[in-house]
Amino acid sequence: MESINPTLHTGALAALELALNQALQLDKPGIRKLAQLQGQVFRLDCTGPQLDIYLLPDADRIRLMGFWDGEVTTSIRGSASDFAELARTDDAAAALINGNIELQGDSAPLMELQKIIAGLELDWEAPLVDSLGDVTGHQLAEALRGVFSWGQQASASISRQLEEFIHEEARLSPPRQELEDFYQDVEQLGQRVDRLQARIRKLAASVRQVAG
Amino acid sequence: MKDEEKTHFGYREVEPDDKAGLVANVFHSVADRYDLMNDLMSGGIHRVWKRFTIEVSAVRPGHRVLDIAGGTGDLSSRFADLVGAEGEVVLADINDSMLRVGRDKLLDRGYHDNLRYVQANAENLPFPDNHFDVVSIAFGLRNVTDKERALGSMLRVLKPGGRLLVLEFSKPESELLSKAYDTYSFRILPVLGKLVAGDSDSYQYLAESIRMHPDQESLREMMESVGFTRCEFFNMTGGIVALHRGIKG
Repeated sequence: MESINPTLHTGALAALELALNQALQLDKPGIRKLAQLQGQVFRLDCTGPQLDIYLLPDADRIRLMGFWDGEVTTSIRGSASDFAELARTDDAAAALINGNIELQGDSAPLMELQKIIAGLELDWEAPLVDSLGDVTGHQLAEALRGVFSWGQQASASISRQLEEFIHEEARLSPPRQELEDFYQDVEQLGQRVDRLQARIRKLAASVRQVAG
Repeated sequence: MKDEEKTHFGYREVEPDDKAGLVANVFHSVADRYDLMNDLMSGGIHRVWKRFTIEVSAVRPGHRVLDIAGGTGDLSSRFADLVGAEGEVVLADINDSMLRVGRDKLLDRGYHDNLRYVQANAENLPFPDNHFDVVSIAFGLRNVTDKERALGSMLRVLKPGGRLLVLEFSKPESELLSKAYDTYSFRILPVLGKLVAGDSDSYQYLAESIRMHPDQESLREMMESVGFTRCEFFNMTGGIVALHRGIKG
């Protein structure tokens, strides 16, 4: 009766929250600024992949939740690529107005949050990679950068360094093209499975009709 | 005594008056290693199930929360963080061994101001009517002798508009998962129990009691029958565990 599968979603958010707060602990002035937003609830509604994240600034940390039963201060909705596009701009406000991302609710606290987080000197990558593994950790960090629109320079620099590290030094992940081919294969396989499932259902219905 | 007056203790049928004592022995036996066993048995996923329960609970600062069968205090400690100094959390458990382990653990972690400990039977909760904003029972309902009576008691102590959360093992959604889960529960789990907690019978009981517990729909109907409204459930890990939520109208 419920469409969400909470286990994976909640588990990933727990790891992400831990990583985020570990990073935040390194920047006490940033935390103090963040505390000003205590009580606000931000919803990040990612349409592809389907993912809801609720972000709740607290006195000294940020809580991430996959389920929130209450009022939301600000909600932004878009696909991962929309968020990534947002990441490439210096001007988050302009990107929100001109881009594909839909914004609902009060934009001022979101802008405030964006400003605070953009001003934090956080190293998101290391703790994320530590707790989630290199590939997932990096992808989540990319998504986070998208949401909060880090400065272009910081984003490009961290991305470049991490990509170099993953591909060249640690050899932890295949190059982008190989991955994209792999994702395409997986998608095609998924479609074939869907078609096969539909065919099986059709056959089963015919068998039932014949037997009945 | 007639069959319908008996109750289940795992797969065995026992007199209702005997069940609480038998369940008590299980938890006296495993209390000291309970947290470790939970981590081992679930691969740590029980933390995720509980985290989701906290999210759905919508506990806010100032709330009064009752955590029944609170055991070693995983939910209570999070509730205590959320209700803050203005709120109150009551950790209730019928089993004094579990309560002692939970209280020691939480005291060691610095929880004391807004947390109370009460040894109580879920069927006869010793609290006033309309008292709590949220009542939770995690992995406890299947051990209760008279589940409907317990749910009725929870309804009574909840404030109107308050919510009940029942986190419990349930029925896997797929047949394949169900078979794998059976193999795990009846072959591996008792061995784990023997190795870690020195007690395979208790974990054999755990596996059996899960199979005898009402499935998702039956429990939802039971909650509705005692008077909860807007009852719904969330399947987790393929239905191995389900979180039910009901509101006191």
